[in-house]
Formats: sequence, structure tokens, C-alpha cells
Amino acid sequence: MPTLLIAILTLGAVGLFLAMPGGRADTRRVGWVVLAAAGAVLLALLLRLVPGADPRGLFAGFALVAVFAALRVITHGKPVYSALYFILLIFAVTGLLVLLEATFLSMALVIIYAGAILVTYVFVIMLAQQSRPAPYDVKSREPVWGCLAGFLLLILLARQIELFLVPAQRTPLPAPIAEAPGTIEAVGVPLLTEYVVAIQIIGLLLLAALVGAIAIARRRPTTRAESEGDE
Amino acid sequence: MTDPTIKRIETVLRKPAVIFGAGAAILLLVTALLALAFPLYKPLLSSQFSFSMIVLAVMLVLILSATALCILFERKIAGFTQDRYGPNRVGFWGLLQPVADGLKFLLKEDIIPRHVDKPLFLLAPALALAASLLGFAIIPWAGQVRWPWMPPDAPPLSTQVANLNVGFLYLLAVGSLSVYGVVLAGYASNNKYAFYGGMRAAAQMISYELPLGLGLLVVLLVSGTLQLDQIVQQQAATGVWNIFLHPIAFFLVLVSALAEANRAPFDLPEAEQELVGGYHTEYSAMKFAMFFLGEYAHMITSSALIVALFFGGWHFWGLPGPENVTWWAMLIKLAVYLTKVALFIALFMLVRWTLPRFRFDQLMRVAWQSLVPIGVALLAATAALTYLGWQRNVWASLAANLLLLAVLLRSAARSKRPVTARQEDLPEIDVRPTT
Repeated sequence: MPTLLIAILTLGAVGLFLAMPGGRADTRRVGWVVLAAAGAVLLALLLRLVPGADPRGLFAGFALVAVFAALRVITHGKPVYSALYFILLIFAVTGLLVLLEATFLSMALVIIYAGAILVTYVFVIMLAQQSRPAPYDVKSREPVWGCLAGFLLLILLARQIELFLVPAQRTPLPAPIAEAPGTIEAVGVPLLTEYVVAIQIIGLLLLAALVGAIAIARRRPTTRAESEGDE
Repeated sequence: MTDPTIKRIETVLRKPAVIFGAGAAILLLVTALLALAFPLYKPLLSSQFSFSMIVLAVMLVLILSATALCILFERKIAGFTQDRYGPNRVGFWGLLQPVADGLKFLLKEDIIPRHVDKPLFLLAPALALAASLLGFAIIPWAGQVRWPWMPPDAPPLSTQVANLNVGFLYLLAVGSLSVYGVVLAGYASNNKYAFYGGMRAAAQMISYELPLGLGLLVVLLVSGTLQLDQIVQQQAATGVWNIFLHPIAFFLVLVSALAEANRAPFDLPEAEQELVGGYHTEYSAMKFAMFFLGEYAHMITSSALIVALFFGGWHFWGLPGPENVTWWAMLIKLAVYLTKVALFIALFMLVRWTLPRFRFDQLMRVAWQSLVPIGVALLAATAALTYLGWQRNVWASLAANLLLLAVLLRSAARSKRPVTARQEDLPEIDVRPTT
């Protein structure tokens, strides 16, 4: 099993390297074929081994969309499209979270990422738009090291995935908390009781970041008389 | 016009008897068909899942036709505000105007300019419409219902499409998506006016999501639940609508809803006088109509949300309450709900034709320097009331609201700076008389 996983991951890394922007068009096409092959094998493996019959189709669909969108985020040449694929990725992950009954987390993900952060990204990308694609969009900067780092990270994770895939060693999946008083209560009450200090510290950190951002970005309003005096 | 057949058709269509007769005939036909097919869908009505699907289909059709009617309604209200007739040529009282508008949109040439980013150009109007329609899923249209053929101890069915645990958090999530349709339209059009429209929309929607969220948080504190059907049930059970508890929160939500729907006085993304047409400058025919429909659908969603949160949803004093789950009570509740929504749409339209458009810096200042601090103060006050256990006490929360209002007015008077003031970093105006 580990050899199969490692083979899939190697295939994925090679395919991703070939598909990165900057290469020749036919090489990139080959990269996509390799990636598709790796994805298909991985999907078949997961579908065969993941327990729980009913949401498997949905799981596979969301996972497939998520992986594809994630690949497009880093392989697409136009930054606006990359941002849009990021949004697609977030929706796919939201679907996976809903399958796990983590509705609050899924909605928070959509509101914060798709609703706020990605809007800001798109905003900035649009502001920084140039008449011709920038060199760093046309050619990826360090494709070898990037793919290698991702590959190593996934190899480390593969150990855990392998444990999960071998039924004898599998730790039982956590039961969905649908019977709990509600996922909002399940998230909210511990946040404000058990983890209240952590929340306060995070809040303080964010406030400091906010004040710092304003301090950096603030431009002293100058009147016309002053700017004339400067000249 | 000289064609006698066309003339004859026109005269026939303008008779009220013909219009209302045709309407009544269609209604009768649909009812008869539904009655005849009753054994076919009777089992479907009894299970929550299939019933939700039916509600989904019915409400979708209803809302899509309502958006078409809204256009007529809007033009009639514009006519009323400006002391003229409004559309009155097609059919009696202009009632066939939506049909004419729809045909016009369908038959016009659909132009895709050569310089646009084609995939995004096609995606944007679809996103704009789809994002506005998603919100309907959690509106509790008519409380609960138990059909006569169901056993009396069976749990009543909910007339909500999806009773999500996260409730109106879902509405916030899909509401925050509607900005993408506009922003992408502005970007894909590759036109500077459209682009400015998209930028304005993005900045505006991000800013106004905050007061909206704060207003919703106040409701959350009062009701202690995010689920819209429970919020409505609470209001119906006590007979006290949330508007009586928190008028300021209602105002925050109303203003933010107007801004999120890009309606005047917040229609800067499509300010004709400045930006040609704003983000939809390059759009024509049905793709333009989809932005239009998306705006109206967004307006209906916002109205339905406000009605559920602040105006008791399907509740009205003296009419069937939450304990009455018969089918006729459901119809009455639905009628009450839709009437309230229609009143809100009329209010939105009156606002559009009454108030002038904001300047962009005013728009931002209203959001960040007025609405957000008010929202935070109100939230703090409500939190204090909740701590004391008085969150559903009308007098306590009204007093808190009045106190807050007095403080706000006082500080506004002291600062001597109206919202219409000039931007700070602009040079001073020389007010000395030029002689």
C-alpha cells in the first residue's frame, strides 16, 4: 500500500511540475494527463477503502473538484482566474465540511474566505492589472522546489493516510455531532468558556495587526498650501 | 400601427375584462389541473424532503415571475413619485408590460464585444442571478403544516426548503457571494467605466456587510437562535415583533440591505451619470436582463429576511398562530408573509425614487463612521440587557434604543460635521466672495 501511495504522489508531483506555467504547451498537456492518471488512481483507492457507504459519491465529487481547483490555482496564467479557482476550492471544501456535519465551520469558511478575503484579492488583482501579463504570472518562479516541498509534505502525511487505509489499524471515525444541541452551540460555548484566554489573545493580536496596518498605510492629509510649501 | 389587426389586438388587450378574465382563466386552469393530478402528488406532500422540493419549485417560479412583475411595479412607483402615469400602453393599466419587456430582452441582439474576457463575461450574469436566488432556501414561508390525511400525531412539516442549523449565517454567506457577479462583470468587460463600477461595488459590499452583520447579531442576542423559523415562532408566540424591541437594529439592516442590493441611494456601481452604465455597460439583451433580475431577486430575499427577523414573518395579530398547523392556516400565513414582503419591496422602490445618490466618500463614511459604531454600541447595549435577562422586555430595550439614539444625536450635534461634509484630504474651498 505505501508503495502505491508513494507512486501516486510521485506521479502527481511530476505531473504538477510539467503542468506549471512557463513550460511549453505540449509539455503542460502531458503534465495534465499525468495528473489525471494520478488523480484517477487515488480516487479509485479512496472509493474502495473509505468506510461509510452513503456520502461516498458526494465525497468523491467534492474531493475531485477541490484537488482540480487547487491545481488550477497554481497553474493558471491569469491571476483573476486563479482567485476564482480558489473560490471554487473553498466551495468544494465547504461541501466536505457539510458532509462531516460541521455546518458552522463551513459557513464561516464561505463568509470569511469567499466573502471577504477573496473579494479583497480580486479587488487588488484588478487594481494591479497590467496591459500585458506580468513575467511572474507567465513563468512560475521555483517549480522544482515547490513541487518537491509539496511532495515531501504529502509523503509525511501518507504515513497517516496509510494507517487510515489499512482497516485493521484504522482508528474509528469521530461520530457526527448531529445529536448535539447544535453545531453553533457546540462551537460557541467552548470558545467562550474553555478557550476564552486564547480568544482574547487572538483578538489582541488582530487588533495590534490592524493598528499596525493603519499606522503603515496612514497618509497625513496635506492641504494644498502645505504641499505648495514643500515644493 | 396602421395595421388593422395589430390595432384590433391592442384594443382587445387594453380592456380590463380581457386581462383579468385571462388571469382568472389561467388560475382556474392551473387549479383544476392540480386538483385532477392530486392523487399523483399526494404521497409526495407527506414527506418533509419531497415537500421541501415542492416548496422550492413553487417558490422559485413565484419569485422569478415576481421579479418580472417587480419591474412593472417599479416603473409604476416611479410614475407615481414623479406625478405621471408610468407604463400604461401594453394591456390594461400596463399589466402586460413585463411580457413586453421580457420579449424585448429575448429578441434583442446579444452582443459579446471582441475585447472582453469571454468566459468571465458569460459567467458574471449567471453568478449575479444565482447568488441572489440561493438565499430563498431558508426563508420560513408559512410556518408548519400538517395535511388532513396525515395522522394527527405526526410531526408537522416545515414550509422551509432547508431548515439549516446555521440559519441566517447561510444568508450572510450567500449574500457575500453576490459581489462576485458584479465585480467579474466589471473586470471581464475590459472597459474602464465597467471596471470602476465593479471596484465601487466591491468596496461598497465589503463595507456594508459589517453593519448588516452587527444588526443580525443584535437579533441573535434577542432570540438566542439562528434559525429563522424559530425566530418567527418566538415573535408569533409573544406577539411582540423584534422591530418593537430594536428599531435601530432594523434600520441598520434595512440600510445595509439596500446597499448590498446596489439600490439607490447606494447605486454608485451603476451610476449612469458618471459611469455610462456601470458594471453592465457592455451587456445587452438577456445577459443584461439577468443582472436586472438578480437585483430584484436580491431585493426580494432581503425583504423576506427583514420580514422574518423584525416583522414577525407570517404572524399577524388575530390571524392563525403557530399552534394552528392546518392547511388553510398555512395559506393565510403565506399570504401574510408575501404581503409584508411586497410592502417592503414598495418601500425599497419608494426610497429609490425619493432619495438622491450618495457621493462615494459619503457612502464610505456612512458605513464606517456612522453605521458601524452605532451597531457596536447597540450590540453592547443588547449584550448588557441579555446579561440582565431583559432581552425580550419591550420597555427595557426600547429605553436602551432611545438612550442610544439620544446619545448619537447629541454627539452628532456636537461634532458639527454632517455626513455631507467634504472629504478631509481634499483642499479647503475658498469661501470668500470673489469680487
